[in-house]
Amino acid sequence: MKRTTIIILACMLTTMAAMAQTGLNINHLFDGRYKKAAGATEIIVTGSQAHEIGLTIYHSISVTEKAQAEIIENLVVKDGAKAIDKEVEYRNGQLYYGFYTLPKYKRSNRYIFFLNQNLARKSPKNVVTLIYMEGEAGAERIKKLIRK
Amino acid sequence: MNKNHHINNQAELERLIERYFDGDTSVQEEQMLREALADCPWSSEVIDEARFTMGYFAAHSHEKARTAGKNHRRQFIGIAASIAIVIAAGGYALWHQQQSTGVCIAYVNGMVVQDDDKVMTLIANDLSMMDNAADAMTDQLSSLGAALELDNE
Repeated sequence: MKRTTIIILACMLTTMAAMAQTGLNINHLFDGRYKKAAGATEIIVTGSQAHEIGLTIYHSISVTEKAQAEIIENLVVKDGAKAIDKEVEYRNGQLYYGFYTLPKYKRSNRYIFFLNQNLARKSPKNVVTLIYMEGEAGAERIKKLIRK
Repeated sequence: MNKNHHINNQAELERLIERYFDGDTSVQEEQMLREALADCPWSSEVIDEARFTMGYFAAHSHEKARTAGKNHRRQFIGIAASIAIVIAAGGYALWHQQQSTGVCIAYVNGMVVQDDDKVMTLIANDLSMMDNAADAMTDQLSSLGAALELDNE
């Protein structure tokens, strides 16, 4: 009985950590599809390592497949529409860079970063990156974090 | 005594009571006596004493049943509380473990990277790319500002 309860709780907590971006459109991208995909990188950091940078969750994906860029961009733009603050740059009608501050979720700040390096002027790369961050860190601290 | 026999008068009932206290009654007779004491209108010292004694036993049995019920409730509450404590403690332990150790993992080209330093380096690379893009945006705004100032001179 105890063992079953603990196993159920463990599954619930792991799912909760992995699905923390619940309620967002980008959540569909974090369903594990990029974990085994060639040319893709997915990073998941929670706990003490995330805490060191003022976060509770760091979840990112980088993909090289061009077809994925549009899918990711569309979902980011949908979530970005609900942002309370945003910095975005479009190039040739496509989202190049986006930094969105989302409404708080359970007292945690939430941020989405998006970068399509295909649209970079200097040495463009075939890489689209999406980062979801959640934690106590305010927007200024996050900006400082990326300027380290 | 006949199974279907009924006590028809007070004297018969009192004789049965005496036999009951002497321990000479069968199970059927005891049952018949209980029913008669519960239903009959007769009253005498012997009958009232028997009513009191047998009624006392009945009440005592009822009290015992109530106590047993309370004990069962207490046991149930105790078990439920123990389960709740186990769930809460297990949940807290797992939450605490996850908070303190957490997850630090990356999947690169289908390969799993579990080395914390390597994962943190990947994060630094991600953030550096974002920084460059943000810088490009700031540079662009600065250039626009400079161009406008130049144009206004």
